[in-house]
Amino acid sequence: MTIMRIGRLVRPAAVALLTLGCAVSVSAQAQQHEHGASVARPARPELGTSAAFAPDGMLYAVSKEGQHVLLHRSTDEGASWYAPVVVNADPEAVSAEGENRPKVAFTTDGGVLVSWTRPLTKRFAGEIRLARSDDGRRFGTPITVHRDRQEITHRFETMAITGQGQVVVAWIDKRDLEASLAEKRDYRGAAIYAALSDDGGRSFRPEVKVGDHSCECCRIAIANDTDGLPLILWRHLFEPNERDHALAKLGADGLPGGVRRATFDRWRVDGCPHHGPSLAVAADGTRHAVWFNERDGEGRVFYGRLQDGRVEAQRTVGGERAAHADIAVSDKRIAIVWKEFDGERTRLRADVSEDGGAQFRSMELAVTAGASDQPRVLRRGALLFAFWRTENEGMKGYWLR
Amino acid sequence: MKRLTCLLAALLCSSATIYAADDFIALDRAGATRVVNAASHTKPTIVALWSSECIHCKKNLKLFADMARVHPQLKLITIAVEPMEEGLAEPLDRLGVSGSRFAYGAEAPEALAHALDPKWRGELPRTILFDGRGGKVAFSGIITETIARASLALSAD
Repeated sequence: MTIMRIGRLVRPAAVALLTLGCAVSVSAQAQQHEHGASVARPARPELGTSAAFAPDGMLYAVSKEGQHVLLHRSTDEGASWYAPVVVNADPEAVSAEGENRPKVAFTTDGGVLVSWTRPLTKRFAGEIRLARSDDGRRFGTPITVHRDRQEITHRFETMAITGQGQVVVAWIDKRDLEASLAEKRDYRGAAIYAALSDDGGRSFRPEVKVGDHSCECCRIAIANDTDGLPLILWRHLFEPNERDHALAKLGADGLPGGVRRATFDRWRVDGCPHHGPSLAVAADGTRHAVWFNERDGEGRVFYGRLQDGRVEAQRTVGGERAAHADIAVSDKRIAIVWKEFDGERTRLRADVSEDGGAQFRSMELAVTAGASDQPRVLRRGALLFAFWRTENEGMKGYWLR
Repeated sequence: MKRLTCLLAALLCSSATIYAADDFIALDRAGATRVVNAASHTKPTIVALWSSECIHCKKNLKLFADMARVHPQLKLITIAVEPMEEGLAEPLDRLGVSGSRFAYGAEAPEALAHALDPKWRGELPRTILFDGRGGKVAFSGIITETIARASLALSAD
């Protein structure tokens, strides 16, 4: 137990108690009093981790350790891992908890890309960072993806490779909010910006605004449409304060199309849901999505097929405490994974459909008694795979058969 | 010896008034259950859940700090739904937020959240209001002073 911060007057006594080896937990005792003071710093790592299968079938994962992003590789689907590679040689702050996590992607020219959000000193400020490796073992110096270098919010990035082999990075950006505030004008929420790379992540075009008025704090989803162009799905802030989702597509010229409302649950809240969506596009063009919203007073995870102006076959996923779902598609096969706290432990659960989402069968994949990251569902060829990092069990994978 | 040292610990830990006011208490499940037990609140009480990353929380915290100054009988308890880290107190200090300050302890965040409010799904700010007579109501997002006063059964001054 490490004493992080402790009441000024009680510190010597607490240190003495620890020296004596008393079994009494100072923090546990202190919290019984409303004005207790001592805090044992929880030794909890930031668990935000992404994973993806490389074209050669190897499983990669990216996580945070201190002020470094680490790249992990496994040849046995997560049963064991090679010693990690340090992505950023020079230490810097990295966001890797809750809706934030580093991302990994593979370029068409064999490169390995890792992106992350670097928090800056000013509260809520950040930069979108990206590093490239030609061989997955040595990374170049990270670059900042955006041209805007104000010390403001550029956070919650996500990254994908388009069907044309371009790299697309999208993030939540507050330059429009800041400009409005400087002119004493109101601005609802934040904005979504994106940048494209035509050279495998070595450099990026100037960023473009995808849409105004996004929510400020939820992860963004990207999935390629059937023409290979990226669809971006995010939690939006519709007037006056409805935190539903919006969808936009980047054109072949890199410019965004119009912003379309994608969900219609009409959750009105002036707050941060901390709960972003996920999107997968089937070969027939069906847009399968999962998201969280409050509807009729109940916060639930939903699945639905996003149509123009409506949602088809919307239904709840899991139980009352299902959270942070992810979705992937392989032909007619659809897999949804999520985690769900049962009052004592957190369970990793999945719904799998073999018929394009008409019917699902449920399964439980794992359970943990400790803290856990959001689960992901990955593709390796036509196969689907659940990935989940927990504090107690580490990074594990589960084939969805 | 063990009995003696534990007795010493109990004595020290029961001296609540000697602690510095700006420190946080690590919240565990048992503590979370106690904090939101309506029967334990005999005065109007605000339990404000917040985090350093929550841009909307400061509006609520400012309102509650102002209300606590006006109403000495109002009890304010803040819970940072994140582990204690250096600088966590800064937003509370800047806004003049008084009262007991908790931060998430070492247990799983889901377990702590469930103990605080089974209906809460992680959105912030989240506020639980007690009228001091057994009444309890929870709100997500920014709330108005009118709603807070009504929920706390506070008279308008």
